[in-house]
Amino acid sequence: MSTGNTTRSDRAALYGYLVAFDKVDELLVAAAAVRDAGYTRWDAHTPFVIHGLDVAMGVKKTVLPYIVFLAGLTGAAAGILLQWWTNAVDYPFLISGKPLFSLPANIPVAFETTILFAAISALVGMLALNGLPQLSHPLFSNRSFKRVTDDRFFISIEAQDPLFEVAKTRELLESVSDQPVEEIEELS
Amino acid sequence: MSTPVSYLDNTGDDPAVRARLVVGDNDFHSVTNTVCGIVEQPRPPKFWWVAFAASSSLTLVLFACIGYLVTTGIGVWGLQVPVGWGYAIVNFVFWVGIGHAGTLISAILFLLRQRWRTSINRFAEAMTIFAVVCAGIFPGIHVGRIWFAYWLFPIPNQMSMWPNFRSPLLWDVFAVGTYATVSLLFWYMGMIPDLASIRDRATTKLRFYIYGVLSLGWRSSNRHWHRFEFAYLLLASLATPLVLSVHSVVSFDFAVSIMPGWHTTIFPPYFVAGAIFSGFAMVVTLIIPTRKFFGLEEIITARHLENMAKIMLATGMMVGLAYSTEFFVAWYSGNTYEAFTFLNRAFGPYAWAYWTMVTCNVLVPQIFWFRKLRNKTIILWVASILINVGMWFERFVIVVSSLSRDYLPTSWGYYRPTAIDVLTFVGSFGLFFTLFLLFVRFLPMVGMAEVKGVMPQAHLDRPGHRGHGDYHGDIAGVEVV
Amino acid sequence: MNEDKSNDIFIFPKWTGVLRPAVAVGALGGVLYAAVVVAFGFSPQATDVGYEPVQPVPYSHALHVGQLGMDCRYCHTGVEVAANALIPPSQTCMNCHKTVRANSEKLIPVFESYSTGMPVEWVRVHDLPDYVFFNHSAHVRRGVGCVSCHGRIDTMEIVSQQKPLSMGWCLDCHRNPEEHLRPADYVFQLDWVPEEDQLVLGARLREINDINPPQDCNTCHR
Repeated sequence: MSTGNTTRSDRAALYGYLVAFDKVDELLVAAAAVRDAGYTRWDAHTPFVIHGLDVAMGVKKTVLPYIVFLAGLTGAAAGILLQWWTNAVDYPFLISGKPLFSLPANIPVAFETTILFAAISALVGMLALNGLPQLSHPLFSNRSFKRVTDDRFFISIEAQDPLFEVAKTRELLESVSDQPVEEIEELS
Repeated sequence: MSTPVSYLDNTGDDPAVRARLVVGDNDFHSVTNTVCGIVEQPRPPKFWWVAFAASSSLTLVLFACIGYLVTTGIGVWGLQVPVGWGYAIVNFVFWVGIGHAGTLISAILFLLRQRWRTSINRFAEAMTIFAVVCAGIFPGIHVGRIWFAYWLFPIPNQMSMWPNFRSPLLWDVFAVGTYATVSLLFWYMGMIPDLASIRDRATTKLRFYIYGVLSLGWRSSNRHWHRFEFAYLLLASLATPLVLSVHSVVSFDFAVSIMPGWHTTIFPPYFVAGAIFSGFAMVVTLIIPTRKFFGLEEIITARHLENMAKIMLATGMMVGLAYSTEFFVAWYSGNTYEAFTFLNRAFGPYAWAYWTMVTCNVLVPQIFWFRKLRNKTIILWVASILINVGMWFERFVIVVSSLSRDYLPTSWGYYRPTAIDVLTFVGSFGLFFTLFLLFVRFLPMVGMAEVKGVMPQAHLDRPGHRGHGDYHGDIAGVEVV
Repeated sequence: MNEDKSNDIFIFPKWTGVLRPAVAVGALGGVLYAAVVVAFGFSPQATDVGYEPVQPVPYSHALHVGQLGMDCRYCHTGVEVAANALIPPSQTCMNCHKTVRANSEKLIPVFESYSTGMPVEWVRVHDLPDYVFFNHSAHVRRGVGCVSCHGRIDTMEIVSQQKPLSMGWCLDCHRNPEEHLRPADYVFQLDWVPEEDQLVLGARLREINDINPPQDCNTCHR
C-alpha cells in the first residue's frame, strides 16, 4: 500500500502515528481534539469500553441493529415456513384431529429460530463490520501497543488520512499527550 | 494474600454507599496479572490435578455407562410401566435448569445495569454451556438408539418423514439447541478482548499463536468496541427472552400432557424460577472454592457472593410459593385426581423425596435472611450444595411421583433406579467438572475488560462524578458533536 | 512486565490476511457442503440400490423368464394370495431339472438340497426391515406390476435391487398410485407398455377399483 500524500517522507512506508495515554480523562480530551481537527482515519485503542469515547471521537452509530433485525425477521419467516411446509404440505399428517397448520402450536419454534438467526447475525455482523479476523496489523509490531489489552490507552492516526501531514499531525498529537509520538511502519 | 479479612469485606446494606466491586490495592494491570496469571502458569497447581483426575475418571464412568446402554438396550435403566420417564429426563431438566444462571447473569443483569455481574459472568456463562452439554446427552441417549438422534432435527431423509412440530418435545430441541448456540456465541464474543490480553502477554510462540487466532486479531480499536458493545447489547436483549423461553418450553413437556400434577399453567414461571435458583446455587458451589484456590478474592468479592445469596433467597421463595400454589389449586379445583396426586406426593411412597425437596429448597435458603450467615462462605457453600440436591429432587418428585400413580390403579408401581441410572448421573457430574477444570486452566475465567470498566480508575477523575462513569460531554474544552 | 524478558516481538505474518476471505469462503463452502450432503446423503439414491449378492446357484432369471417365458407365479406361488411371494422349494426346480441338465455341476446345491431336504441357502435381495410389514398379495391384486418394485427381472442374469425400497419411495407410490397401476392381466408381464398415457390409465383404474393407499404409520409398522 502506498500513500498518495504529498507530504510523505521517502522512508519505509508509514502506516501512521501512535501515541499513548495513562488516564481516561487525557484520552477523552485528546480524542475530542483529534476529532475537532477533522481527521477521519484514526482510532482510539482502549483495554475496555469507555462510554464517553464514542462521543468524543464522533463515531457514527453502527448499522448492526438493522442487520440483526432483518436476520430476526428472516429467522421468524424461516421457522414458520419450515413448520408449514413440512407438517402441512410435504407430509400432511393428522394427529389427534389437530389442524395441520396452526399458528399457536408453531410459535415456540418460530420464536427460537428468530432468536437463533438474530444472535448469529449479531456476532457475525459485528466481526464482519469490524473487518475481523485480521491477525496481522501494522500496530501489532509496536512493542508498547501490547499494553493496549492491559492498562494503556492509545490514539493512532493513519497516514492515509487526507489531512495527514508528517509534521502537523505529530504536532497535534504531541500537544495532547505528554508521551512520545511513535511512528508505525506499514507491514513489509 | 495476607490482606486482613475486614479489608476484603465490601458487603453492606446502606444503599447510599456504592460498594467497590474490586477490593484491595488493584489497578488495571494487577487485574490483568491476576486473571491471566492463572492461564499462564507453566503447569496447573496440585489441587487442579487432583480434581481433574477425579472428574475425568467420573467422565469415563459416564462414557462406560452410555456404552453399556447403547450396546445392551434401555433395559439397563430402571424404567418400567408406569414410570416411562425416569432419571434421563430428571437429569436433563436438572442440568438445563443449572444452565440458566449464566445467561441470566450475563444478559438480564446486563440489561438491568447490575455492574457486579462483571466479575462472575464469564464464569457463569462457561458453567451454563457445560451444564447444557450435560443436559444434551440425556435426550440423545434416552431411547438407547443414539444412531436415530438425528430424527430430532428436520433433516431430509429417506423416510420422507419430518418431526411433528406440534409436539413440545420438539420445541425443546429447538429451545435447547438455540440456547446452547446463543450461549456459546455470547460467551465467546465476550471473551475475545480477554483472549487478546493473553495473546499480548504471551511469552511463548505457541501461546501467542493459539490465543492470537482465538482472539481474531482484536486490536482494542474503539471503532470496534462501538460495534462490539452494540452486538453485546443486542445479544443480551435476545438472550433475555430466550432464557425465559427455554425452561418454559421444558415445562411444556409436562404441562401439555394430561397427567395430574403436570397439567398446570403455573409450570412455566415455576420452572424458570427454579432454574435460576439452581443455576445460582451451582455458580456459588463452584465459585467459592475457585476464588479461594486461585486467589481471586479481590475480584470475586464477598459482595458478589452476598448478592447471589440474595437472589437464591428470592428465587427459593418463588419456588416455595409455587409448591404451595400447587397444593392450593389441587384443593380449589375440586379435581380429585389432582388432589390425590398432591397428597400422594407429600404423604405417599415418595414422601421422603418430597420433604427432602421442601427442606433443601424452601427452608435452607431462609438462613440467607441473616447477614451473618449469608456472608459466611462455608455456610453459603454448604447451603448452595443442599439447594442443588433439593432442585434435583424437585424434578425427581415431579416426574416420578406423578407417573407412578397414573389413572389406572392396576399399573401403579414404585420406580427404582438401577446402578447404571445412578452411575450415569454421577458420571455427568464428571463431564461437567472436567470441562469446567479445563476452562479455568486454559481460558480467562474473569471478564477482565468488563471488570476494568467498573473499577474507579475507569471513571473520570473529577469531583462531582462519583465514579458512575459515563462521559456526558462535560470535559472542559471538549465540545460534544 | 513480561515483554521485557525478550527482545523478540511476536506478530502474525502478513499472509494471514488471507484468513478473512478464507473464513468467508469456508462458511459459504460449509453451507454448500451441508446442502450437498443433505441432498445426496439422505436421498433415496443412497440406499441399497444395486445390491447384487452372489447366490449359491447361478440361477438366471434372464434365461428362465426372459427366454423360456416362465411365469413368475410358477415359482413364487404365494405372490397373489399371501404376504410373502415365497422362494420355491428345490422340488420346484427338480420338476424340470430331473431331466434337463441333470448332470450340471452348477446345480449340485439343488440336487443336494433335494436329496437331503435341507433348503438351498439363497441370499435375500429385496430385504425390508423387520418392523415393516409388506403384503405382496395386497399390491399384486390391485394391479401393481412386479416390475414397479423389482425392475426388469426377466433381463437379469443375477438379480439385483433396482429400487431404493426406502420409506420415502413407498410413500411416493402410496400418494400417487396412478403412476404404477395396470390392468390385472398385465401385472406379471414385465415388458408391458400401456397403449394410452399411464396417468390416464392409472387414474381410471384407481377410480374403477377404488384404490386409496393408506399413509398411516400402522399401515406398514404394525
